[in-house]
This record gives sequence, structure tokens and C-alpha cells, in this order.
Amino acid sequence: MHLVVVGLSHKTAPVAIREKLTFPASVQRDALAQITAIEGVREAVIVSTCNRTEVYVVASSEDGGVDSVITFLAGYHDLDRHELARYLYVITGEAVVRHLFRVVASLDSMVVGEAQILGQVKEAYEHGFDADTTRRVFNKLFRQSFEVGKRVRTETAIGESAVSISYAAVELAKKVFDNLEGRTILILGAGKMSELTAKHLVCNGVARVLVANRTFERAEEMAGRFCGTAIPYEQLYEGLREADIVISSTAATEYVITKRDLAPVARSRTSPLFLIDIAVPRDIDPDVNDLGGVFLYDIDDLSGVVESNLEERMAEARRAEGIIDEEIDSFFGWVESMEVVPTVAAIRAKAEVIREMELEKAFKRLDLSERDRKTVEALTCAIVNKMLHGPTARLKKAATGRDGYEYMEVARALYGLEDSEDRSGPGAFRNLLNLKAREIVEKQKETGENVGDCGS
Amino acid sequence: MTQVAFVAFWMAMALYAGATVLYGYQVATKRAALSAYATFATGAGFVLHTASIGLHSSATDGTLLTGANVLVLMGWALVLVYFVLEHLMKVKTYGAVLVPVALVVLLVAQVMGASRGVLADLSSDQAALVDNWRIGIHVALIAFANAGFAVSAVGSALYLVIERQLKHRKNTKLFNRLPSLAQTDRVARHGVIWAFPVYSAGLLLGVLRAVETDQQLWWADARVVFAGLVWLAFAAYQFMRWRKGWAGRSAAYLSLGGFVLVTILAVVARTVPAGFHVFGL
Repeated sequence: MHLVVVGLSHKTAPVAIREKLTFPASVQRDALAQITAIEGVREAVIVSTCNRTEVYVVASSEDGGVDSVITFLAGYHDLDRHELARYLYVITGEAVVRHLFRVVASLDSMVVGEAQILGQVKEAYEHGFDADTTRRVFNKLFRQSFEVGKRVRTETAIGESAVSISYAAVELAKKVFDNLEGRTILILGAGKMSELTAKHLVCNGVARVLVANRTFERAEEMAGRFCGTAIPYEQLYEGLREADIVISSTAATEYVITKRDLAPVARSRTSPLFLIDIAVPRDIDPDVNDLGGVFLYDIDDLSGVVESNLEERMAEARRAEGIIDEEIDSFFGWVESMEVVPTVAAIRAKAEVIREMELEKAFKRLDLSERDRKTVEALTCAIVNKMLHGPTARLKKAATGRDGYEYMEVARALYGLEDSEDRSGPGAFRNLLNLKAREIVEKQKETGENVGDCGS
Repeated sequence: MTQVAFVAFWMAMALYAGATVLYGYQVATKRAALSAYATFATGAGFVLHTASIGLHSSATDGTLLTGANVLVLMGWALVLVYFVLEHLMKVKTYGAVLVPVALVVLLVAQVMGASRGVLADLSSDQAALVDNWRIGIHVALIAFANAGFAVSAVGSALYLVIERQLKHRKNTKLFNRLPSLAQTDRVARHGVIWAFPVYSAGLLLGVLRAVETDQQLWWADARVVFAGLVWLAFAAYQFMRWRKGWAGRSAAYLSLGGFVLVTILAVVARTVPAGFHVFGL
């Protein structure tokens, strides 16, 4: 088994190239069928988002796998192979696992911590699963990658804080009001940025939108877009009494809201007033922040919030790398268990444990001479060896085939070798056997003896 | 049985200490699994705490209403009130503050000697005064009311911290983990809304009992006067919020001021021996 990923992303290719190499949902089945039809490609998944296109394959050889994918990409999109290769990155072997886990955890995204990538990779995997181009390795690898994505999101704060100005404003408003449902916003001025921020606030439950602008018609126009109410500019301070959040972005060169005029409004209020001033030059006198219950954030403050949130995400990304390391170990533990030699060794060791236990029970019941005991012991060894010889030989042969991992999985399931230490309850006896078997395997590894060989 | 109660009490304190660390770590790292462990540790501590009170009471033929025992009851009430709060708010940040407050109350009780009784030193008049069901209820109501005031104070303190961070535009990791300004204000308000009537009822029962037993100058006792001040502080809080629309910073300061009086009354005043209202009680 050789893992290979070939792809490009925002880090290696401009949008002009990325847009040529997409695999929308409608073509995935066909593309996956084409790539798995190539000799040596056993499994395939294509991840295609606006920022990356990556083809994951399990191939019979590393070089062959890489070559097949590049040829496929160039051929499928009718691009010059050498020209395309300039933008591609190639990752092989164990590094593929780390790469996929980092992608799903959003550590490789343009905006670290963004949430969409997990869903996009899930969708890509589902296409592969439906097209029957994923088997044992990718089923395990991708499903585990989703666990990685979930763990990173729940155990770190990587996606917690806003990293855009408008979202930062929404997050701060939530920090003040807890929940924006039923709140009233006042949009002062009719700029694009204030409209975008207002849109985010409305999406978060704001119930009422008031718009004040020097040109009343423009205020009405914007109010119409939010099913809100336009108020005459002269009634700004009346509007401030009703509003919970104010977004200001007028083109005024002097302060539109001053501390002196706002003070009586602030005194008459029983709930806080959150002011967002995104105008340059500023619309709101910074001294209003000294009034009780009034909180003012200007564009620099919001940028500062975004910056510190990004820094926090980077710190959380380092924690996420730790989670990824753990999951990589777990994945390779599974891979190792799927190799034929440890599987055969585990089966033999388990048989040996059962043989020894049964012998012990029998010897307690029978009064045998030393010679008889040796004869019985040799007999049981012979039975075990003969019973296991055929299945293990065939398993070793099957392991080299295309579906080798499936044979291995079935064998492990039939002999009860799967994740045995983690189980409890009715399988406790079986777990004990497996633990004992594992001990024997480890011991044999250390001494270099042949596992399960009775010496007969 | 006393020994078992003693062990259960210390185990409860150890669990509360563990829960404090877990709650704090959960707030710092946002690990959901830790909050479940923290709640479990608090719950287990609470069960042991309850068992300790019950066993101690059985061993001594009824709980002696000593100052230390009343503090143990207050710590117990505080944890119970916190559980109700966590259930209603679905926010565990308060656990990082309220559970350690309960732990401190229990430690103070230990310092004061949780297992020592002083009723033996009472005069016959005083013994007659406390030997009535009204006094038990009076103490329990005051303990629960104090727990409510503690919740309000914690909400108010958090309010002031968050308000300061917002005013100074400090966007720290801790700031992102704290609850919203509105929620802390709500917690502070509801803490008093529930605690104040309970406190009033507790005081009323005490007054009724004092009148009933014909205590001379009961109202001139320092502790009774202090209790009156606490009542006045929270009555003012209620009045200012409902009638004058007080919210935010001013209300938070008043709630904290009221809680300082509660602390003096519940802890400091017990160390001064004087007055009709026996300070050990």
C-alpha cells in the first residue's frame, strides 16, 4: 500500500489555474472511475474546493501512483502536463496522513480555523464511497480525519473567534447583549461596510433596523433592503434612545455623535448601547466610551480584535498539531495491525494461549506420567499447527492482492483480534486472551522466536 | 459515625478543590470534557458534603447551630444553588468562581472548628430561645439567602471585569471565554430577586422568635443591626433596579457592597463574642 496525494492549493497556484482544475460534484463519479481504472490505483478520493484540488490515491507503487495522478489531471482537464506540474505538490507515504488531517483540521486553509473544509472533505469522501473507489484504507483514513476535524474544533478554540471586521462586530455585540434576538440596530450613513455588518447582525436575530442618513431617500432605500424604518437625520438622538447597536459610516468630517449630546440618552437607558464606528474620519466622539453603559469600537479597535483573534487561532493551531500527532499514531497503529505478519502472529498466539489453557485444565483432571503429558502436548501442538497452516498460508497469499486489507480485516474479525483491549463486558474473557496473545507476540519479537510454533 | 462524617467532609472539600481546578482549566482551555469532570467532581463532593452533614447530625442528636456548622450549611446551599444556576444557564464559567467560594466557606468553617459546639455555654434564656423549630428554619433560610447573594456578587464581579475589558477593548483569551455582559447582569439581578425574600422571611422568623421569648433589647444587638443593614442594602438594590432602572455598573457595586456586609456578618462577626444574638450561633 502506498499513499499518494497530488494537488494544488491557494498556496501553490493562482486562481486562474485553480479554476481550471476543479471537480464539481456532477463530474466526480466519472473522474473517480477514470482514475481507479488506471493500473496500480486501488482507491481514490478527489477533494475539490475553491482553494484546493487534491487527488488522494492508494497505489501499488509510489512513483507509479504519482505519475498516474498527474497524467490523469492533465488529461482530464486537457492541460499541458509540464505546465501543470509547476503548480502541483506531491506528498507520499506517511506524510499524506498528516496532510489530510491538517487539511480537515483547517490548519492548511487560507483562513486557519474556518469551518467549511470539514464538510467539503466529507462530501468528497462520500463521492468516493458512492462511486466505490474507497476501500479499507481510505474508509479508515478519511473517517478518522473527520474525527480529527471534530476533535480540533471541540478541544481547541481554533474556530472560536471572528477573523473579519463585520463578524468581530457581531461577536462583540453578542458579548454585550448575550443574544441579539429582538434587538434594534441603527445604521447611520449608507456605506457598504455598514450594510454588510448590519446584514450579519440581522442574520443573528436583530429584529428591527432603523436607518438615518442625510439624504432621506437613501435611508429609505437601505431600510427597504432590511425591511427596516428610515428616520429623519434630525431625529438621530431619538433613534439612539431606541437602538441597542449603532453602526456608523457616514462621510461626515466632524463627529456626528458627541459625548455631550449622547450623555442624556445614555442616562435614560436601562440597557447598554453598543456603538460601532467604521467611518474614517470617525463619526463618533471617542469620549462617549466614558459614559456608563456605552461601548464604542472604531475601525482600529475592530482590526485589533481581528488581529488578536488571528494570533489566538495560531496558538490554537499549535495545540491542534498535538491532536494530529496523536491521531497519526492511532492511524499507523491500525495500519500495522492490518499487516499480514502481525495478524498471522496474533492468530497463532491466540491459538497457543487457548491450547495452553485447555492443556492445563486437562492435566488437572488427568493423572498422567511425564511421558504421557509430553505426548498429549505434542498432539495438541500438531492439531493447532495443522488447523492454522492452511488459513494462514492463504491469508499471506491474499494479502498481496488488491483486496488484501479486506482479507486481513475479516481474519481479525473472525479471530476476535479487533481493538480487543478497549472492549469490556461480555467479551472480557476474549480480551484477556488477546492481551495474553499480544504479550506472547511481543515476547517472541524480543527473543526472535517463531510465534505460535510449539517446537514439534 | 463522627469520624465517617469527618472523612466525608474532607473528601468533599478535596473534590470541590479538584472541581475548582477543572472548572478553571476548562475556562482557560475550552475543553468540554473537563467541564463534565468538573460537574461530576462537584456533584460527588456535594453528595459527600450532604452525607457528612447528615452523619454529623445523627452522631450529635441534631446539628448544633454553631457558627462553623452554619457556615458548612452555607457552603452546601451555595453548591446547591450553583447546580440550579448551571442547569438554568447552561454556562459553567460561574463554577470556576462559585465552587471555590464554597470551598473557602468550608475552610473557614474548619478554622472555626466545624465540629465544636458552643450551645453548652448558653444561658437558660438563650437555650430556650434556640430550642424551637423557627430557629432551624431561620438559619436555613439565611444560609440559602446568603448563597443567593453570593451568586449575585459573583455575577456583579464578572460584570465589572467584562465591562472593563470592553471599555478598554482588551480582547484576551480570557475575555473570549467569559459570559456576556447581559448574562452576568441577569445572574446578579436574579440572585437578589430570589435571595431577598428568603432573607426577609429568615429575618422575620428570627424577630418573631425574639419577641416570642421576650428578649430584652434584641434589636440593639450588633449582629441584628448588621443583618438589618444587609436587608437595607439589598432592599435598596431592588428598589433602584425596579424603580430607578439601575443596571450595570452601579447595580454591580451595590450588590458587591451588600455581599461584603453579608461576609462580615457571616464570618467576621462570629469571631466577636457579644450581644443577645450569641455570636457562635
